[in-house]
Amino acid sequence: MSITAVIIDDDLLTLADLAHSCDVSPEWIAVRLEAGLLNLTITDAQQARYTSAELTRARRLCNIERNFDANPELAALVVDMMEEIERLKCQIHRLDKHAIDV
Amino acid sequence: MEFQDYYKTLGVDKTASAEEIKKAYRKLARKYHPDVSKEADAEKMMKAVNEANEVLSDPEKRAAYDQVGQGYKSGQDFRAPPNWDGGFEFSGGNFNDSSDFFANLFGQAGKRSRGREQYQGRGEDKHAKIVIDLIDAYQGTTRNITLRAPELDATGHTVNKERTISVQIPKGVKTGQHIRLNGQGSPGFGGGTAGDLFLEVQFREDARFRVEERDVYQTVPVTPWEAALGGGIEVNTPSGAVQVKVPTNSQTGRKLRLKGRGIPSTTPGDLYLLLEVVLPPADSEAARKIYETMAHELAFNPRTGA
Repeated sequence: MSITAVIIDDDLLTLADLAHSCDVSPEWIAVRLEAGLLNLTITDAQQARYTSAELTRARRLCNIERNFDANPELAALVVDMMEEIERLKCQIHRLDKHAIDV
Repeated sequence: MEFQDYYKTLGVDKTASAEEIKKAYRKLARKYHPDVSKEADAEKMMKAVNEANEVLSDPEKRAAYDQVGQGYKSGQDFRAPPNWDGGFEFSGGNFNDSSDFFANLFGQAGKRSRGREQYQGRGEDKHAKIVIDLIDAYQGTTRNITLRAPELDATGHTVNKERTISVQIPKGVKTGQHIRLNGQGSPGFGGGTAGDLFLEVQFREDARFRVEERDVYQTVPVTPWEAALGGGIEVNTPSGAVQVKVPTNSQTGRKLRLKGRGIPSTTPGDLYLLLEVVLPPADSEAARKIYETMAHELAFNPRTGA
């Protein structure tokens, strides 16, 4: 069976899609959007459409909260740090390529 | 099918309290969290730990598991007796890549849908990662992937069934992005639609290229005379061979931009060629002579900026 995959950023997720993919209710997402924990500024969560980056962040938030019974702000702080670590790792990788041992 | 000792997985005693199980789970969840763990088999261990916690943190599932697992040891051959879960109230679970043991006992398809007879629901979405080459993002590609999902066998037991699907990955995808396969997640229940499968794309490490969003950086070795005198050179880029004009007096690190030749999209990225001047070795009399002539003829000292 051959299936054509769709790039999420070409066909953005609805609030219901995002919530279902994280196995949470749309209200769960909406509350965190309103609190700024998904790093998005939107006025209407229901009408907004969501990208791959927001799916990754929402899933991480959800896993941290669920696995550690963390409150949403603490989970967001952990995810912020995970994203920062990723960014710094990319930077190190870039610099490593230009470094030589002397 | 092998018996899974969930107590052993979490490292707790069979008499452990709910609080002790929670503590043990959190400790291991931290240790094996795939985003931070340095353990080689972190992802596999995290799945096992999640599965054990799913059962042991639910009092009904734990009680049913304790009853059916009496006398069994980890890895021992196991077959659940008929109606093993009689008298217990729990709903089915579902994991990406759950063990056969979990699928057989607790898989959603095998549950007798307590309280769900009148309820229709969409199946869970599944998530996985897929590794492709950068060139696949330029051209699109097809990959065969194997999915495991719980299904009822002829005897009414739930087993993990494998199926392979061919996935056409469209061009223009970038690392970290998700692609979605409609209806390839867990089956729905009560006639509901199946969930979707989300694949997170990652590019295979390739020393020739570095990718930032849709921009691609490629190191291009050039000779000293190509760099100094300039001229046309042919470069094999991810989108094919291109003729590039090297500006005169180029140095290592000079960046040439090929607009729109990064990862394709409605607004495609750019391709940056990073020139790297490579000196021929002075390993012959002729080569040595040329370097000596340059040393005499060119008043050049890069350390004084002359």
